[in-house]
Amino acid sequence: MSDSERKTEPVSKRRRNFLIGSAMTGVVPVIGWAGQAQATTQAAPVDARAALNVALRVNGRLHQVQVDARMTLLDALREEIGLTGAKKGCDHGQCGACTVLVDGRRELACLTLAVAAQGREVVTIEGLAAPDGTLHPMQEAFVAQDAFQCGYCTPGQILSAISCVHEGHATSPDQVREYMSGNLCRCAAYPNIVAAVLQASQQMGD
Amino acid sequence: MTPYSRPASLPETLFLLAQGQPLLLAGGTDVYPATQAQWLTRPVIDISAVPELHGITRGPDGLRIGAGTTWAAIAAAALPPACNALQQAAQEVGGRQIQNAGTIGGNLCNASPAADGVPPLLVLDAVIELASPRGLRRVALADFLTGPRQTLRAADEVMVAVIVPDAALSGASHFVKLGARAYLVISIAMVAVRLLVVAGRVQQAALAVGACSAVARRLPGAEQALLGLAPQETAAAIDAAQVAAALAPLDDLRATAVYRAEAAAELLRRALATLAQDHAG
Repeated sequence: MSDSERKTEPVSKRRRNFLIGSAMTGVVPVIGWAGQAQATTQAAPVDARAALNVALRVNGRLHQVQVDARMTLLDALREEIGLTGAKKGCDHGQCGACTVLVDGRRELACLTLAVAAQGREVVTIEGLAAPDGTLHPMQEAFVAQDAFQCGYCTPGQILSAISCVHEGHATSPDQVREYMSGNLCRCAAYPNIVAAVLQASQQMGD
Repeated sequence: MTPYSRPASLPETLFLLAQGQPLLLAGGTDVYPATQAQWLTRPVIDISAVPELHGITRGPDGLRIGAGTTWAAIAAAALPPACNALQQAAQEVGGRQIQNAGTIGGNLCNASPAADGVPPLLVLDAVIELASPRGLRRVALADFLTGPRQTLRAADEVMVAVIVPDAALSGASHFVKLGARAYLVISIAMVAVRLLVVAGRVQQAALAVGACSAVARRLPGAEQALLGLAPQETAAAIDAAQVAAALAPLDDLRATAVYRAEAAAELLRRALATLAQDHAG
């Protein structure tokens, strides 16, 4: 990264708004290798701050939002769609509090661009319970095992744990500890979290 | 060009890459944490949907791992025992969420001295394939990495694949990483070891150490000393002074140079002892 990229004069509420110089270079076609270049994007000056219309499918509902091209999925969920279950702990991919399911896999919403999540199925903690309020077995297990103290990491823990079970990585306490290592708990409720994951694993039946 | 594009082919990627100085985004696990700024000044090319960058195949030139292959996919692949170290490293890169997103190509192009993917690939004599408007070229991984966060990749090049030649797919390998705790840590030191044992004697030995020098290194002198030994004799043949001299490790916030040198030698012994156990069993 150059020093110019570290400068932060413009004011924004978001960390990852990006300013693009409006004088990008012209088109340099690729000739003579791997056939005809099939670019769909024209080299035209574009203001990155201009809002893009993005359609995000979250918890089975389609949300049309206007975002900066490089807003993270986490910011889009929390600030544009209003789903604040995914937490912003470190915003650096280290704590796991923002874990969501994307096409069934656990990913970190703070390291995913909102625009890159288009066409993919996102599930957050708000999408787990049945419409009548019946909790997901993993939510039930976290309650039954008292698997949280302050609760801040819990949404990420629960989504990560569901993936952990689906991956087949919840067959022993050691395995759960290894495959849940991407979710930190500042209160150190780990023994209870492990117990909850193992309990739900049996109830989820896979 | 637009601030975000997601090309669907390699030619399209190269076309976009030739315009201005865009940022290549694969798994995104290093790009954001490395960014201190609120803003990047460059447009982003998201290469996660480029099919030419995906997949693990065995072909005439060896094992080909697409640069966009995630750590989770590498860990789950059916690979020969020579790749055990690579698969073990794949399971120690961050947590599972990082392994689902982070790619082998991103790990190599970011060129952290502590990149977990490098030592396992060095003991496999890995070769990097790069594409640009000028065509394809191949570079040995050991040459590709030129310094901390520095590589031979030109601004208009994209890494397409990592290739392990057939000759290096023999024997078995093992990876050991030392961090301040068991999970989610940047390595203080890590080693990969590959041995080919024929008739009870070491016929090929490859040792690599990461996070102990500006660029992870093979240790040709120490490798030479292992040839002809029984696997059970190899751990004792690691000379700590020789390892330290070959690495010239650095002091940093995670460890001192003296500690690193001792740790590297000890990790090599442990990795060799583990491989010897497998032979005994």
